[in-house]
Amino acid sequence: MTEFNELSRQFQVSDLVEQRADLHFITASKEHAVAVVSALKERYGYTHLVFFTVVDHLEKNEFHLTYMLHNYEKHHDMGVVVKIARENVQMESIHHLWPAAATYQQEMREMYGVEFPGSPGLYENFALEGWEDIPPMRRDFDTKEYSDKTYYPRPGRESHDPREYMKENLYPSEAETW
Amino acid sequence: MSLKDIIAPFSVWKRALEKPYTNRKPIETRPGADRYRGFHQNAIDQCIGCGTCEEICQNNAIDLVPLEGKTSSHGDSGLRPKIDYGRCCWCALCVDICPTGSLGMSNEYIWITTDPEDFRFIPGGETKPWDDRAEGYRRAEGYDLLEAERVEMPMLSFEESQKSFIEMVQGYSKEQAMEEADRCVACGICIATCPAHMDVPAYIEAIRNDDMGEGLKIVYNANPLPASCGRVCSHACEYVCAMKHKGEAISIRWLKRYIIDQIYLGDYKEILKSADESNGKKIAVIGSGPGGLSAAYYLRLLGYEITVFDANEKAGGMLRYGIPEYRLPYEQVEKDVEYIRQLGVTINQDLKIGVDRDFKTLYDEYDAIFFSTGLKDPYGLEIAGEDLPGVQSGLDILDEVTKGKTPDIGKSVVVVGGGNVAMDAARTSRRYGAEVTILYRRREVDMPADEEEIHESQGEGCKLVTQAIPLRVEKGDSTRLKLFFGMAEMVDQGEGQRPKPVLIEGSEEVIECDTVITAIGQEADYSFIPEEIGKNLVFNRGMVQINEFRQTGDSKIFAGGDIANRKRDAISAIADGHSAAKGIDIYLTNFKDK
Repeated sequence: MTEFNELSRQFQVSDLVEQRADLHFITASKEHAVAVVSALKERYGYTHLVFFTVVDHLEKNEFHLTYMLHNYEKHHDMGVVVKIARENVQMESIHHLWPAAATYQQEMREMYGVEFPGSPGLYENFALEGWEDIPPMRRDFDTKEYSDKTYYPRPGRESHDPREYMKENLYPSEAETW
Repeated sequence: MSLKDIIAPFSVWKRALEKPYTNRKPIETRPGADRYRGFHQNAIDQCIGCGTCEEICQNNAIDLVPLEGKTSSHGDSGLRPKIDYGRCCWCALCVDICPTGSLGMSNEYIWITTDPEDFRFIPGGETKPWDDRAEGYRRAEGYDLLEAERVEMPMLSFEESQKSFIEMVQGYSKEQAMEEADRCVACGICIATCPAHMDVPAYIEAIRNDDMGEGLKIVYNANPLPASCGRVCSHACEYVCAMKHKGEAISIRWLKRYIIDQIYLGDYKEILKSADESNGKKIAVIGSGPGGLSAAYYLRLLGYEITVFDANEKAGGMLRYGIPEYRLPYEQVEKDVEYIRQLGVTINQDLKIGVDRDFKTLYDEYDAIFFSTGLKDPYGLEIAGEDLPGVQSGLDILDEVTKGKTPDIGKSVVVVGGGNVAMDAARTSRRYGAEVTILYRRREVDMPADEEEIHESQGEGCKLVTQAIPLRVEKGDSTRLKLFFGMAEMVDQGEGQRPKPVLIEGSEEVIECDTVITAIGQEADYSFIPEEIGKNLVFNRGMVQINEFRQTGDSKIFAGGDIANRKRDAISAIADGHSAAKGIDIYLTNFKDK
């Protein structure tokens, strides 16, 4: 792929994956990612930021950020993946390239705790109001524990263990002697 | 002020008579997308209340509650999921994992009520407008959280297996066992169905944790003959396994066997409970089959002194003398028996009560008696020619083989019967090189033998003729015997009744053979019980009547196993032995001294 070959001469990019004929992924280093995205926009016609998202790879202790770009002339999508360590996770903002990116970045900060210094409105509430726990989309966030703490059991709620319930109903006297 | 500002108010008037552009009224609701995750649906009759949905729910939004009109039965807990929509986050994991596939989601997401309590209900159990909606979220094709197929068991090929008595099932490796254990959803539905109520999910978890010691302890809590049971148990548990609804049941029996196979007999003592100090009370156990050995084991643990009396040369009862070695190698029976012996149980072999020793003496000498003497006397065919040489019972053949003798069966064998004894006799005959035909009076689906026994006997080359009723046996010309049989038609006997085979007139056929093996059932022999004691016991259609503590009409005598239990399998006998041990303990500690 021409773009990849040219980019790889200039930046740290690797792992070209052809998902479909019209969809490729490349991996860029954290330092070069914004420059790569910028080059794809300015030089190669990937002018549309389709989405910008993050996946939490807890087992690898990494976040994978993906910039998905679209080239209208070639009808081609290009995903730029950036792998960054999970601790104190920070990434350069791209709001100067696409103002709409600020909204993605605002959401990612709130849901995953990824910081984008300088991004407009970064600390405004996106969907969560008054959230104090660790960001809820992080995989080490314990949904059940949070539910138990926040939405304490409703009065009158009770559950049965199938094995105990069947014991009471099907072999009660044997249960006593066992 | 510009000209535009002056004209603008008038330009608005040109729209005065147009239809106003407003929202449509009444407001039309927009349906959710086809696969939208709205309120749940549950096919209430398909659901078995296994609670896997509750287990996986990340928000504790699901409770398992009784539903009116649903009762607990084998394979169905009688509980149904109740969802708290205050907590539900519509992640649909419950739908994705549901082993029966009963749980789904409608695409209904708009529902208004003024009472917040309404948002807690049993889907399918309380009628909702979206119950029958076809749209909504279902588990996607080709995506599964549970593995539907069991890990294949390494087995001898039929070609190999019919050549010798080498054990056919070769057992799981550690990787295979762990992979198979991983399929278990730990619902515990099987516990109620197991006659001994073994804690199956707990020992499967021990395999997952690779903690065989823990597994052995759990197994022995309810079953002191696991090496044998791990091979020949009738595995009622597997028929109700939640995973069976999805594909194949967990191979519970083989996982149990795996645990036992990992631990040497010599290490048992360090792992398992030791017996209590002797309490000075003595119990006699008659019969060393699964019932007797189980009672002996649990009573010994409680501190009783146990003496087992058995007429055979070696202990194990039908486990040893009724089941061929390719299914249950003798050393496995020995492993179970030996541990019980090591605990301090005395087993007297070759000693027949009623002949070598008087029942009355035991009755006077011991504090209680448990007898589990099994069904030893085979039923006859009740047809002419049955007494001709060459007509033998299946039990006799199996017994002979166990004793190391070569049975005189000739080149061709006809086995009459459809139970496990029939299959065992047929397959044993195959191993001695005979051509085997199995005659059964009903259909294949009616056969009482285990599915795999039927399958394996056919695999090993036994020919199965169903709906065949034996009529008479005559001396053969080129062979030893000729068996005449007629074909039967199945006549419906009304609801709840098994259809009855009725002979079709003029359908007589003949089969030439050297041996006819009869295996149509057995009955008990109670002749060892003297009349004065026997008159206190109640018998019903050949079976001893017992109460839930396995106590007979004589408070000092307890009974169990095939003579008292219609299930007639090893695990039921083991459960009887366990219950009798508890019963005897209660009787001797609470009633005897008063």
